[in-house]
Amino acid sequence: MLYVKNLKKSYTVGKNIYPVLKGVSLSVAKGEFAAVMGPSGSGKSTLLNCISCYIPFDEGHIALGGQELKGLDEAGLAKVRNEKLGFVFQDFMLLDGLTIRENILVPRIIQGKADRSAEALADRLLRLFGITHIAGKYPAEVSGGERQRTAVARSLINRPLMILADEPTGNLDSRSSRTVIESFENARNQMGATIFMVTHDSFSASFCDKVILLKDGRIYRQLSNSGNQKQFHNILLDAVGEMSQDENEMEVL
Amino acid sequence: MNISVLERKLRKADKKQAVLYLFCNFISLMLITAYSAIMFSSTVQNIFPEGGDSRRQMYMIFVLALAGCLIFTVYASSLFFRRKSRQLGILMALGASRKRLAPGLFFEVLILSCSSSLLGILAGVPAVILLWKFFRTFLTDSAEMVLVLDFRFLLVPAGMFLTAAVSVSALAFLYLRKTNIIDVVQEEHKNEPVKEPGRWCGPAGILILIGGAVLGYYHSAIYEAVFHRYSPGWMNVSYLPVFIGLYMIMLHTVVHGWGSRRKHPYKNIIARSMMKFQGKQTVNSLIVCTVLIAGGCFAMFYLPVLYTSSFLDAKSQQYDYSFHYRADQTLSNQKEIADIAAGYDVSLKDWTEGSYITLALDGRKEIEGEDGAIHLEYHRMLAEGKVLSESAFNRITGQNTDVPRGSFSAISNDEETATYWVTSRDSVFTNPETRRELPLKFHGFLHFSLLTDQIGYYVIDDTDYSAISQGITPYWSGSLVFFNVDGKDSYPFASRLYHMLIASFDKDCLTSVYYNRVKELTDSSESADSGAGGSQEFLKNDMSGLSPDAADFRLYWTYMPKFRILTASDFMQTFSVFLMTFLFICIICLTAAMVIAYTRCQTIAINNRYVFDDLKRLGASPAFLRKEVRLQCGNVFKIPAVTGMSAMSLLYGMILFANDGRFSRSEILGFLLCMAVMAVIAAFFYGIYVHTLRIVCMELEIPESRTF
Repeated sequence: MLYVKNLKKSYTVGKNIYPVLKGVSLSVAKGEFAAVMGPSGSGKSTLLNCISCYIPFDEGHIALGGQELKGLDEAGLAKVRNEKLGFVFQDFMLLDGLTIRENILVPRIIQGKADRSAEALADRLLRLFGITHIAGKYPAEVSGGERQRTAVARSLINRPLMILADEPTGNLDSRSSRTVIESFENARNQMGATIFMVTHDSFSASFCDKVILLKDGRIYRQLSNSGNQKQFHNILLDAVGEMSQDENEMEVL
Repeated sequence: MNISVLERKLRKADKKQAVLYLFCNFISLMLITAYSAIMFSSTVQNIFPEGGDSRRQMYMIFVLALAGCLIFTVYASSLFFRRKSRQLGILMALGASRKRLAPGLFFEVLILSCSSSLLGILAGVPAVILLWKFFRTFLTDSAEMVLVLDFRFLLVPAGMFLTAAVSVSALAFLYLRKTNIIDVVQEEHKNEPVKEPGRWCGPAGILILIGGAVLGYYHSAIYEAVFHRYSPGWMNVSYLPVFIGLYMIMLHTVVHGWGSRRKHPYKNIIARSMMKFQGKQTVNSLIVCTVLIAGGCFAMFYLPVLYTSSFLDAKSQQYDYSFHYRADQTLSNQKEIADIAAGYDVSLKDWTEGSYITLALDGRKEIEGEDGAIHLEYHRMLAEGKVLSESAFNRITGQNTDVPRGSFSAISNDEETATYWVTSRDSVFTNPETRRELPLKFHGFLHFSLLTDQIGYYVIDDTDYSAISQGITPYWSGSLVFFNVDGKDSYPFASRLYHMLIASFDKDCLTSVYYNRVKELTDSSESADSGAGGSQEFLKNDMSGLSPDAADFRLYWTYMPKFRILTASDFMQTFSVFLMTFLFICIICLTAAMVIAYTRCQTIAINNRYVFDDLKRLGASPAFLRKEVRLQCGNVFKIPAVTGMSAMSLLYGMILFANDGRFSRSEILGFLLCMAVMAVIAAFFYGIYVHTLRIVCMELEIPESRTF
């Protein structure tokens, strides 16, 4: 589904060049729920932004559903974003002037295919994520958790190859976070969605099939979930602790 | 639903920003249309003297207002786009290409821009007519005040309309290009900080501003002294340091503020940093507001200074009535005038008559050569001077003056401020008929304000007078009449006498004070310098087509009588078009400044909302938040008002002083009246500021007091 090979990306500030991704390679299979974790500055958001086609990368390859992203022009990238990807942002990114139902339909409207089938799918998604009762409301009138579930529903309206989620629970309390993660699980279980999530939250990540730990622009470790969420959460906590310890030792040295 | 429906819905959500933009564009176009309509109306064009200071002042403020309104329109549209940018970013993040979004965006901005511009232009015409009608109904009215519009004025707002449409389209294009998905996704708050200058910036700005004002004012004199040529028009760029100084002052204000922060380095740090990080926009809008306020004050100052000068002149008149006429004219005598006065229950007293002769005075005249170089040329007979004998002067004034033989005294007012039109150096007086010359030494000034006008009055010894007046014809001599009324004066009597006197003059006496009979005489006898004959001919017939009530007639007629009651009562009517035009200009400039300041405060609410939200989360009290808003909005109103008004007070003071190297009583009083007018404007500004503050606090959801 998603194939990333030797991805390199650096930022230039004035005369200084800061390498952020130093050769990242990973893959996410169809129907997989994967997460990337890492300390601030490890490059996880940059990795997501490269996959999202928001920023260009310097070297390496990204292939989505077999399509190489490098070399696509702006229209081509927009097409990929619209047809092959679904997005969930930390700050929801809903349009204030549209109702919840209309917000869900936006990607199809952009595509020019907001037809009856799209509306039927929107209604189904509203039901699936338990937000039918707010369908006619505006984003400002609903809670953070409901907004994020709307965003998850919106990310699925085009039946994308993959959902990219950037800190989807970052602005939510633990209860709302849980409902959002459940929404992702529902999306995967009932619609076969593939999800690639960047998160700081080890609890949210413990629901994933696979967690990639990123450090200093490189993959530090890759952990697989055997099925026991609680156990996986503990493994994640240990791994993250270990990564931090290494970092502290590095600082002492 | 399709993309058009989506865009329509989103437009609805942006209603507030769109309305703000519509309002700003509408106001800009309306003000400029109204200003152009007034400026190019036949009413104003016929009254404001061509090449005169008043007309120049009107054009100058117009250019400032035009630039200000244009900057303001572009600024308002950038506000609109800033909000739009987020929407575009979200749609692009969800897969919409720029190409797909462009048509909707251009359609929206062009509809907004064109509709508000057209409405503004359409509203400008009724606005000017209504305001003018209001002036005529409630302030003053005269036959000259009939507003006759010349619809060619529409070219100016049409030009501005096109400029606004083009600039808003260019901005749409730029915003679409620079909208960055990452900025939107990561909610980066784009600011436009200014480079932080040193603390020298503000004081240096003040010096540059003052230096620029002095340089601008005196540049032509300096240029002439150095290059012996008239200063070319482009030399007006010497005013440029004024704007540079202004920019530096604003920059310093935004970045450092003016108070010392040594004791409390963190005082007002939040408000200051918010302003600093939007420094470019803030400085720009502060400058535009300052210039508009200064322009408004400049226009407004014209009125008090003119009024006090006229009022004090009337008050200081030694006789209630005075008039003079050429000796070859037949005017009503004392008995006839007394009979007319009786019809109005007015009795006359202190009737005094005197005679004068008009002689030619020598002098040097500036001549511009073909190469543009100027040189002084001596003329034995250059200008007219009205000469009285010592005894006639003493009889009229009740003074006991002794002018020694072989000398002359020039007549001025008590403060000796009316000395521009008289000679104060040793001169040769020539009888224009016999060409007999009389070289006289300057003996100083005598004081009698009724004998001061653009053709100077002089007093010489009786023996000299009788010698030089030998052979003079009635064409070169004249009579002076003065009288008072016993008891209460009557306006209808004064008005009737005024019109009656004018009707008694021959047509060839309806000349302008600038018509120089001596020049005509020398031109015809020397047949040289004939090029100027045309303008002399024009000045000779200058007044013949004017109504006796016209401002130009009263200001420039050679034999204009001075009746105290008419001067005092007809001020508003005589100068009605001047007054109303400048009042109108002032209203336009100040309205534009207030709308800009209001809009800038709205931007504070829009751009800094997240900061205020963060402060709320950090536990800031409503009182603290209100203070932060107040510190910023206060600066937006206070700084341009203080700077604009101070700069204009300085400039106006300088102009008044530079006229004759000192301040006269009327100038001081006029200036004080200007200060009072400024206080009223400042109070009005304060009211708008308080209202704006309330609205901004409402928009930022800052409650009066926190409730739990």
